[in-house]
Amino acid sequence: MPLASAETRLLVLNADPVFEDATLDILAGMDGLEIQVVRSLSEAIAILLEENFDAFVVEAEAASAVDQAIHIRQHFPSLRIMCVVPPWKATDAIAAAQEQNIKIIASRTSWRLSRGLAAFVQALEGASATPSEGIDPCHSLIGNLNQFSAAEILQMSCLSQRSGRFTFKSSRGNSEIYLQQGSVRHAVYGSLQGEAAVAEIFRWRQGRFYFEEGIISQEQTVNRPWAHLLIDNLQKLDETMELVGV
Amino acid sequence: MRDKKVETKLRLLTLQLENWKRLHDFITYGLDKARPIISAEQERQFTEIRANLLQETEYVFGALNTVSDLSGKAMNVLQRASSIRGVRELTNDEIRRLETEWNGVFTKLGVIQGQLKTLRKDLASQTPIQYYISRLFMRPARAH
Repeated sequence: MPLASAETRLLVLNADPVFEDATLDILAGMDGLEIQVVRSLSEAIAILLEENFDAFVVEAEAASAVDQAIHIRQHFPSLRIMCVVPPWKATDAIAAAQEQNIKIIASRTSWRLSRGLAAFVQALEGASATPSEGIDPCHSLIGNLNQFSAAEILQMSCLSQRSGRFTFKSSRGNSEIYLQQGSVRHAVYGSLQGEAAVAEIFRWRQGRFYFEEGIISQEQTVNRPWAHLLIDNLQKLDETMELVGV
Repeated sequence: MRDKKVETKLRLLTLQLENWKRLHDFITYGLDKARPIISAEQERQFTEIRANLLQETEYVFGALNTVSDLSGKAMNVLQRASSIRGVRELTNDEIRRLETEWNGVFTKLGVIQGQLKTLRKDLASQTPIQYYISRLFMRPARAH
């Protein structure tokens, strides 16, 4: 079996992990893998919010597996997802899954399953943890940073307990801030992550932004309450503005 | 190295322990007089856990070679705890028996889990060659 990196963590959703364990059995033989098994979608979402996993594997009947995988994709756009299903010919469902960047292994033969899983796990090595662009963005808020500052729109969203992703686009590049129930959970700008990225975005005065409701980051790089972040960053901004004034 | 059989046993055991813990949470809730409301959703979750345990215990205990030790106790717990409401209506003696038997199953499973984790740790520090040489010349380490 190929070796994966020591930190590779997989979350496996399987409603009957004791008796329908073909995938689990194969994964158990792979070195360097940490596997956690959940039985329901709600458990999976709760764990993905709490902990960081490199990939998510669903083992179930075809329609159910694709449905659950698409549901997870909507909340965790950067997560690598694979469905392990019995052979079936629902080409529409396959197309829908592939559109959502969900890999599918439809096989009953253990060697094909084994080969597919090994390739999937191997591909996780060195995979970037940077969240990717949403697949099907539904922008619930769009605007320009020269009319509303990042601080203003984040304050408004946090006060109304929003969960979702802000994408900021400017000549400096793209950045993202993920909110979860009114708190900043994750922020990324180029190589910067967490509070450093938030601080950077606070300074932007040009560009546009949009908000996608319901997209939750798997990663958590910001742990402080929004109010603390706001005060600190506004103070830093004031200091910066003072310097600019000088 | 990683032993697939040990990994499989640990997986089964972890799933089983998780369900026993959840069952205990619901039993504790049912016995808590300060919480008078038992919702339909709680009863549904309880039944689901109980159904999982009913179908999986024999198989898992068989895989762990503990059927004779645990099967009777486990079945007693599952039969007594038919629902959260049912737990609330048990007599004090029955509650004590339920808790003792649940504790017997949980303790034994916990001990086996510890042994298997120790075995896994030992195996992780060995190469396959070292492992097979040790099996040729020494008594194999046993989990239980």
